[in-house]
Amino acid sequence: MTAAVHHQPVPPAEGDAAIHVREVRKSYGAHRAVDGVSLDVRHGEFFGLLGPNGAGKTTLVEIMEGLREADSGEVTVLGQSPWPRNTALLPRMGVQTQSSAFFVRQTAREHLVTVAALYRAGAAAADRSLETVGLGPQRDTLVENLSGGQRQRLAIASALVHGPELIFLDEPTAALDPQARRDLWEVLRTLKGEGRTIVYTTHHLDEAEALCDRVAILMAGRVRALDSPHELVSATGAPSRLMLPAGRLSPQKAAEIPGVDRASVQGGSLVLETAATGKVLQALDALTGLDGVMTRTATLEDVYLELTGAPAPDGTSAHHHPTEQKA
Amino acid sequence: MSAYTTLTAAGYRAAVRDKVTLFFTFAFPLIFLVVFGLIYSDQDVSETGRPYISYIAPGVMSWGVANAAVFAIAFTLMQWRRDDLLRLIRLTPTPVTSVLASRYVLALAIGLVQAVFFVAVSLLPLFGLSLDAQWPLTLPVLLAGITAFLAIGVIIGSRADSPESVAAMANCLMVPMAFLSGSFLPIDMMPSWLQTVAKVLPLYYFNDAASATLTGDGGLADIGVDCAAMAAFAVVFGVIGLKVFRWSNRT
Repeated sequence: MTAAVHHQPVPPAEGDAAIHVREVRKSYGAHRAVDGVSLDVRHGEFFGLLGPNGAGKTTLVEIMEGLREADSGEVTVLGQSPWPRNTALLPRMGVQTQSSAFFVRQTAREHLVTVAALYRAGAAAADRSLETVGLGPQRDTLVENLSGGQRQRLAIASALVHGPELIFLDEPTAALDPQARRDLWEVLRTLKGEGRTIVYTTHHLDEAEALCDRVAILMAGRVRALDSPHELVSATGAPSRLMLPAGRLSPQKAAEIPGVDRASVQGGSLVLETAATGKVLQALDALTGLDGVMTRTATLEDVYLELTGAPAPDGTSAHHHPTEQKA
Repeated sequence: MSAYTTLTAAGYRAAVRDKVTLFFTFAFPLIFLVVFGLIYSDQDVSETGRPYISYIAPGVMSWGVANAAVFAIAFTLMQWRRDDLLRLIRLTPTPVTSVLASRYVLALAIGLVQAVFFVAVSLLPLFGLSLDAQWPLTLPVLLAGITAFLAIGVIIGSRADSPESVAAMANCLMVPMAFLSGSFLPIDMMPSWLQTVAKVLPLYYFNDAASATLTGDGGLADIGVDCAAMAAFAVVFGVIGLKVFRWSNRT
């Protein structure tokens, strides 16, 4: 039950892994899209997949979904091999499609009923799924007349309609307004609460931090980091930021405070980067007082930027460096 | 409901809701019937002494049915692939055969309605077609013809990535074939070498068979040979169609 092409000794699959990936490689010509990825997604886990464009996220997910065959390595999904097209496995998975993948000239409900039937589920499942994503009022609207956010929610509903154990979501909140985005977070938390496993590809790091149990940061086809957002943030030692109204202290003077790594003026604030927040706050209190001082601790975004901005350990650099955003 | 039934229902709704395409699917062959019917009204083809309408009606009908079969499946496949709907289907346990079967049934239904409508108009005194006694054999002829041209449509729909390229490829194939196979002009009027060329075209056999069943220009044996030829084309194009079929534009 493996997609192994050339065998190499690998540890036996863990019993509790919903997805088991070992040393998976996939090349397109000379471009190594996925270059030896190993990871496990546990049952019931909310697993985030992050990384810059071109990092290999899509290819990796498509290999897990069974849409592509790995060149080598081992892939097991819910205890089965997803390749070649595994019709026993497919009903247990739900995949969010592109927001264009609708049967033409159908209403939202007609589309979902059709998708449900492809999964051998009934019309009641389609109605439930419409309500879940909040498209009840649009049930009789033609898919062509739905707004961007509504289309996106319909695409998500298509992934949920048959009640799958494992759900793949790809940038599910991209076209949503802030309220709809928070509403969807609630839907996703409910799905997780029901014991479903979710693989979540996103560029929204706040979202990954708020939702995911663990995240993998993929770069140039390799896993650069894999842990809970909390552990990643703690381990990185990324600096906290202290912000105080500009003009209260000159950047030069601020940089001389012991513990301050960097001081700069950004958007009307003087920003101090430090790994020793307590010490610097005390010094600031003595110098200017703490009125109007805001602290911002490191986030997953800092970890991400630090990882994606740096060259890979073996000397090969990432294909796509994001714009340097450090002060 | 089964995947097949639901897909067929969705395809039916999509077809009847697209009023413009639906109108032209039925009106297009009639336009040719009217134009040629009026030009050659009450004239006989000198080579054979048979009235023009006996050539034009079966020829235009089979061309119209073949054209609709090619375009419908080619557009659908191109659009489903472009919109990633094929990827969605690929991720469900529904077998490809259910998907194909639903499109096949839709194409047969559209072709049948087209044919009935077209023949009914041709029978009006203005055009003056008189049906031969073996007209019920038109049904198996339509089945064979639609199958062959559906297979051609699968090839076009699998190669073309935009509506423009579907139209370009399908027209480039179907318009010359209509003339060369004798859909618009009696093939007996063409030079003999062109009549030989026509025999490698599937539409020639569709025309020939329709002309036999509707106007009696040929017996059972001719119809059998024509249907066998169309079945052979269907198999060849069907095999090519499955070879060039793609689930996604992204490779």
